Amino acid sequence: MTEGVVMPFCKGCGHSNILNKLNDALGALKLSPKDVCLVTDIGCIGLADALFDKVHTVHTTHGRSTGFATGIAVADKVLAEKKLKTIVLIGDGGSMIGLLHIVNAALMNVDVTVIVANNFLFGMTGGQQSSLTPEHFVTQTTPFGSMNPALDICAIADASKAGFIARKTSTDKDLTESIAKAIAHDGFSIIEILELCTEHATKHNELKGNMLAKMAEAEGHKLGIIKDSNVRKEFSLKYTEDIESHIPEMKPPKLSEPVTEHYLTKPWSIVISGNAGERVQSSTGLLCEAAINCGLQTTQKNDNPITQGSGFSLSEVIISPDEINYTGVDNASFVIIVSEEGLKELDSQDIFHRADDKTVFIVDEAISKYIRGYNIVSLPLRKTCGGEKAALGAIDYLVRKFNPFPHERFKKVIEKRNGEYDKIFKKNYYSL
Amino acid sequence: MLTSSKRMALRSGNQMVAEGAIKAGCKFFAGYPITPASGVYKGMIDMLPLNKGIAINSPDEISALAYCVGASMRGYKAMTATSGPGWALMIETVQYALITETPVVICVVQRLGPCTGGATQGGQGDILITEFATSGGYTIPVIYPSTAKECYELTVKAFNWSEKLRTPVVLLTDKEIGMTTESVDYSGLDELSSISRKVIKIDDADFRNWKMYGFDSPGMIAKFAPVGGDIKVTATGSAHNANGLLKKNDSETISILRHLEEKIQAYKNELIIVNEDRDENADTLVISFGITARTMKEAVKQARLTGKKVSTLTIYSMFPIPSEQISKAAENVKRVIVAEENINGQYRMLIEPFLNGKEVVGVNKIGSLIKPGEITERMV
Repeated sequence: MTEGVVMPFCKGCGHSNILNKLNDALGALKLSPKDVCLVTDIGCIGLADALFDKVHTVHTTHGRSTGFATGIAVADKVLAEKKLKTIVLIGDGGSMIGLLHIVNAALMNVDVTVIVANNFLFGMTGGQQSSLTPEHFVTQTTPFGSMNPALDICAIADASKAGFIARKTSTDKDLTESIAKAIAHDGFSIIEILELCTEHATKHNELKGNMLAKMAEAEGHKLGIIKDSNVRKEFSLKYTEDIESHIPEMKPPKLSEPVTEHYLTKPWSIVISGNAGERVQSSTGLLCEAAINCGLQTTQKNDNPITQGSGFSLSEVIISPDEINYTGVDNASFVIIVSEEGLKELDSQDIFHRADDKTVFIVDEAISKYIRGYNIVSLPLRKTCGGEKAALGAIDYLVRKFNPFPHERFKKVIEKRNGEYDKIFKKNYYSL
Repeated sequence: MLTSSKRMALRSGNQMVAEGAIKAGCKFFAGYPITPASGVYKGMIDMLPLNKGIAINSPDEISALAYCVGASMRGYKAMTATSGPGWALMIETVQYALITETPVVICVVQRLGPCTGGATQGGQGDILITEFATSGGYTIPVIYPSTAKECYELTVKAFNWSEKLRTPVVLLTDKEIGMTTESVDYSGLDELSSISRKVIKIDDADFRNWKMYGFDSPGMIAKFAPVGGDIKVTATGSAHNANGLLKKNDSETISILRHLEEKIQAYKNELIIVNEDRDENADTLVISFGITARTMKEAVKQARLTGKKVSTLTIYSMFPIPSEQISKAAENVKRVIVAEENINGQYRMLIEPFLNGKEVVGVNKIGSLIKPGEITERMV
């Protein structure tokens, strides 16, 4: 702390004591100030950052200090020199609005220490009820006593698998030692410190320092060092094991070098529709892969219900010798439909107004009866390919019969995923 | 058979944002899944470890951006990606990055709003909310690509602006660009260069006069001190003086609040990215951006085949608004069409003052792509 600093808190406020003990703890741990980052946010306890002139101080938004601290700690331990001790100073109010960040920091086990200065209300804004206000406690907004019990934030930390959990009062004789233990813990630690707000809490409640411990016990909140375990590895150590060790297996994305050998003089737009889970979209992707290998430009847009694995699956593709601007298909060159679900969806997407007398429909024989007045190629796709390969079969048929580029190129691409071409579909497919 | 010297791949805009971020030197990504942006998150999870970086999950969008800002304060380029509903949660943290002058890139992949809206439907309705999201009305640079390749190029740009100006930058895309997979020619992408924030060191010549947020001219950006470095960091979301100390309303504090805006305006000319396709005899100018800029290109191609005289202006740097370029493009035309996939013509509303009394027509739609014909039919 800054030498000769004057505490800005009200007379008798617990914050002064807590901050002095924090300062003593930092000294006892012999930490270099540049290796300490205090993260604070809104509330009287948040005034702490102005009192420390040597350590890094980051004053953030209400409740979010644990979130920022997590980013700082991860970057420090995984990307930088791993020496920072990141300490969050937060009030009871801030701990609730930022509860999510405390929970996740504990689950991740980042090396962050959260000190919750709990005076049972929002002090700075006039003494309103917080989620850590005990039942029957009088505050500005609970003039007849709080209706809710107080949150046991140490129990939350325990449920979040925190390795170090403590609950003390601001006048405990071993407070400095406890704070130092929390900071020294390698991984997430939390210490809740019960204290008095002399401006609001003590004015409206029978409350003295020696009552704090009894209040906690009355609520069933444990006191002392509740947990002190090193079983879980600190985040960056686990990251090194779990992720970095796999880096040799990870492959960067590959590029291809196309040769121009397609036969298109203008763009083709193809709409393919079937059931979800029947490889409609991935089969269309194979068509695009073959197309770019032959020097064509491609765009592919997919559609499916938000559930992803059920209902319809639809792809709209454009393959073109030139740059493709507009990616919509307003007048399809080809429409492939391999299931009733696919037909239903296309109908609702107005496909029959997006096709004309030049459009070729390649459809499974079971649904050809529903389509009249267009060029239709009706094929026993589901019979000769199975449901999962019906879309692939239809696309393969399109490439074979309508020749946008050499079929050999498509064969090569689909063999990579499906094995030998002659064995991909059932025998009677190949004679279609 | 012609062998091309091109290197090609099938990529979605989301994948190219991730690849561009890696190229720009991004080392930290914190993600929360949301359609249509999740592909950026997945791309970073797959690639950052290979590039000496780390990508982590977050329990919500507020955490995601807070983790990124924390990592950036520690000295590393950081990004997150979301859509409208996630952006709505991030706005407070964006303002925190702004007032602490912390570089960070937020990719917003637009979808149909409001609220949960249409998760699998595209749109261009977040133009106003991604720009006018700060108390005080500060300019947030917003860059908007229209193809997968541009996603890569403009992500690099977004990081460069963010680092140079020490500001949050929005990389705006949309579902159609983010989730359409298209053929991408990688030529030229290797040559893109990245800029990093200037970091203050104790033995720098200017260290004696250095302050956390000090400046002596509108265009001066203080050198950056990382948390955990040798120089104590004093950062706060409260209005502060040049040393980072909360000082309510004193003149130094007010000058810093002004400087947050002045520094962006000082570089306004460097923050211009537009593409003009100018016909000197044009009767109509069409202005657009993002997915609709591609529709515009198709519309103009068709219109010119029928003899119409049309110019186009594609906006990439949405904010600060490239007002001079807009005025100049509209100089000699009779009518200006602004095409965008939202109800009220959000960008049209903002740029009308720069169109000097020309007839201004909006082509606006929600729920599906604007079609080329819907633009050509409004041309002179």
